[in-house]
Amino acid sequence: MIAYIVRRLISMLPVMAVVALFVFLLLHLAPGDPAAIIAGDNATVENIAAIRKALGLDEPLWKQLLVWVWSLIQGDLGKSMFWNEPVTTLIRQRMEPTIALAGTTLFFAVAIAITLGVTAAARVGTGIDRFVMGLAVVGFSVPVFVTGYLLIFLFAIQLKWLPVQGYTPIAEGVGPWIHNLVLPSIALGLAYVALIARITRTTMLDVLAEDYMRTARAKGVAPRPMLLKHALKNAAVPIVTVIGIGVALLIGGVVITETVFNIPGIGRLVVDAIARRDYPIIQGVIMLFSGVYVLVNLLVDLSYTVLDPRIRY
Amino acid sequence: MFKITRRGALQGGLAVAASVGAPAIVRGQTRPSAARTIRAVFHGDVPTYDPIWTTANMAAYAGGMVYDTLFGIDEQQNPKPQMVGKWGLSDDKLKYTFELRDGLKWTDGTPVTTADVLPSLKRWAARDGGGQHMMLRVKDIAAKDEKTFTIELKEKYGLVLDILAKTSTPVCFIMRKKEAETDPMQKIEQVVGSGPFKLNLDETKPGTQYVYDRNPDYVPRSDAPSGIAGGKVVKVDRVIFVNMPDAQTAVAAVQAGEIDFYEIPPTDLLPQLEGDKNIKIQVLNPLGQVGQIRLNFLHPPFDNEKARQAMLYIVKQSDYMKATFGDSKYAKVCPSYFGMGTPMENDANTDWFKGGQNFAKAKEMFKEAGYDGRPIVLLQATNIPYMNNSAMILAQEMRQVGLNVQVEPMDWSNVVQRRANKAAPNQGGWNIFITSSGGNAIGNPILLAAHAATGDKAWFGWPSDAKQEELRDKWAVADTLEARKAVGRELQANAWKFVPQLYYGQWVQPAAVRSNINGLLPVAEIIPWWNVTKG
Repeated sequence: MIAYIVRRLISMLPVMAVVALFVFLLLHLAPGDPAAIIAGDNATVENIAAIRKALGLDEPLWKQLLVWVWSLIQGDLGKSMFWNEPVTTLIRQRMEPTIALAGTTLFFAVAIAITLGVTAAARVGTGIDRFVMGLAVVGFSVPVFVTGYLLIFLFAIQLKWLPVQGYTPIAEGVGPWIHNLVLPSIALGLAYVALIARITRTTMLDVLAEDYMRTARAKGVAPRPMLLKHALKNAAVPIVTVIGIGVALLIGGVVITETVFNIPGIGRLVVDAIARRDYPIIQGVIMLFSGVYVLVNLLVDLSYTVLDPRIRY
Repeated sequence: MFKITRRGALQGGLAVAASVGAPAIVRGQTRPSAARTIRAVFHGDVPTYDPIWTTANMAAYAGGMVYDTLFGIDEQQNPKPQMVGKWGLSDDKLKYTFELRDGLKWTDGTPVTTADVLPSLKRWAARDGGGQHMMLRVKDIAAKDEKTFTIELKEKYGLVLDILAKTSTPVCFIMRKKEAETDPMQKIEQVVGSGPFKLNLDETKPGTQYVYDRNPDYVPRSDAPSGIAGGKVVKVDRVIFVNMPDAQTAVAAVQAGEIDFYEIPPTDLLPQLEGDKNIKIQVLNPLGQVGQIRLNFLHPPFDNEKARQAMLYIVKQSDYMKATFGDSKYAKVCPSYFGMGTPMENDANTDWFKGGQNFAKAKEMFKEAGYDGRPIVLLQATNIPYMNNSAMILAQEMRQVGLNVQVEPMDWSNVVQRRANKAAPNQGGWNIFITSSGGNAIGNPILLAAHAATGDKAWFGWPSDAKQEELRDKWAVADTLEARKAVGRELQANAWKFVPQLYYGQWVQPAAVRSNINGLLPVAEIIPWWNVTKG
């Protein structure tokens, strides 16, 4: 097992190297000039050229790439072109809101989705099943920003129950922290709930049709233990796989949700950076997101050994 | 063995909750109350703390909080002393003497002296068009003592005070000697000002919020505030610049009272905000923005004066304003080259406007210009609604005249990059791009880079016209408003002849302000937060 983990971690290196090269080239070959944006609308060509020189953007592309890769190897993601702050510092400052949003969303979405999926499978063909599946279709079809604005309109503007936007650090109190996270978590979690609920239902239906489930029923196992102990455990591997794959969906959703709800997280950081072509930030955040995604996949693979003892690495 | 009991878990939970809440209690004792704090959302993020490094207005908004200026423009656009106490001009009008007023202090506790002022002026002038224009006429800037300095001119020049006082970017902010001696092409490292606020770096999070606390050591002038001149008396404890790029969210936040000020509510949401009794709609910059259609002089067809003149007969400004602002009271047409409502507004050589849109005439003029049907590349910034709409209308109008318009959609940052390209339009260059400038700057023939007609050295489009340059110089030495107005007429008559750019209208951007916020001062291109009260 340890050897497998080490092998997987080592195999991350070429993946991350390809991501780094791809991101760098994509950004630098795409149109847009950070120097022109920094200089402002009334700047002259000379002003822009001077800023480009100060930022090192006048150097050949290969040289810029080498400088960045060398810094990356040393664990340095560079400095923001606009704020002169190290990218690692900016990411650190924005880490808490993103972890809080993604964490709470993941936790509640998984709990709700599995409950819904199992319920729908247990009541297949009934009104409950149709309701859950209808909900899943809506949840998956409506974009995060539409859900977000509707939630803001209803719960923040009309009912005044929750705040429109912003984030309160957990250090300032658990109550205000949760208060700010409710609406964004719902908006972000809806698609995730839909995805997991659908896969849970489908997998549960497959498992429930297996011979050993019929045997269990014949032996008189009560419906609840049968569903939760026998069926769900055997359906867990595909569900966990989808949860892992869904992390990418979650990361994409975080970027939009943080913008709609003005949450100062990593998603907002990268959206602002893209608008300004702040290359070091974009590169740094994409490297981080890619690393997280690769690690989540590794964790999912490792979880199979726990969920299904037949799987060994 | 360690055992978890229910009581133990409860005690532990309470301890964690208490420790998590504690920092908030501690901070609560030092943070100003919400009633003394203003949360404001502007059109963008603060791009840098160095207001000299960029022409972006947000840098001037931020700079105006922490830095002060030697002179300031009042509400009537007159320069008035600000950091300067006494000042005088020699009889031959070639030497200004300025004395700094008492009580000026940096936030590090040291006094402001001429040792700070001189390098500040040099650094700012290295980056500012107006500053460079002035420095060409300056023989010497010298300190007489810690409080007195002189500006000696080579020739008579009527704009010294206007340029020192202007609000168009980069503003002539005075910095501490240490920062002022930074290479003008490099950003300053520290923010130490002598203005009415100080930047609270502990609570500032770049890209999220910028926290400005009242500077208790600031000594305001005793005269009444007007524009960015007069007494800068701060009446709240804290102003937070909140970066909120999503307009819909910002509108909802101001409706819910989570923010106190939103600079750019979308026009289509204004009726909704106007109906909210907790919100007032205020125009803070009465000169607003003037929409510009910039033509490239380097390539056909706009290397030909006739083709540029023909464009005047194509553009119907009211259509552009309607497309973006509807039947809004906030937009109007702008036939004056110096903008409507500015001191230089006039009607010289505006027959093309009075006669209205005339496609037949435009067609004829393009024919005379020898237009051969080659594609005319129009850059369309799709992420800025008024530019996007205007590009679509312009393309349609030009097609109606039989012109082969090739619209190239892209985001604004790409336009900004592309417009600097002098190559032929089919090799990465361009023929037309659409932008806008502040009405205040449009009204000044010297301060706006777009007014220069110096060919290769001019702003994007690179217009060249010797008469325009001669007239701009004449305007700069005119020493009375009447004399300037007279030259302004000549300038406009000439501008609408050689047509460096066209306008598609002028509009003001009303801000949404919570009704308990009072005392906001109307100023072009900066939003002052002194004199403002809450509650």
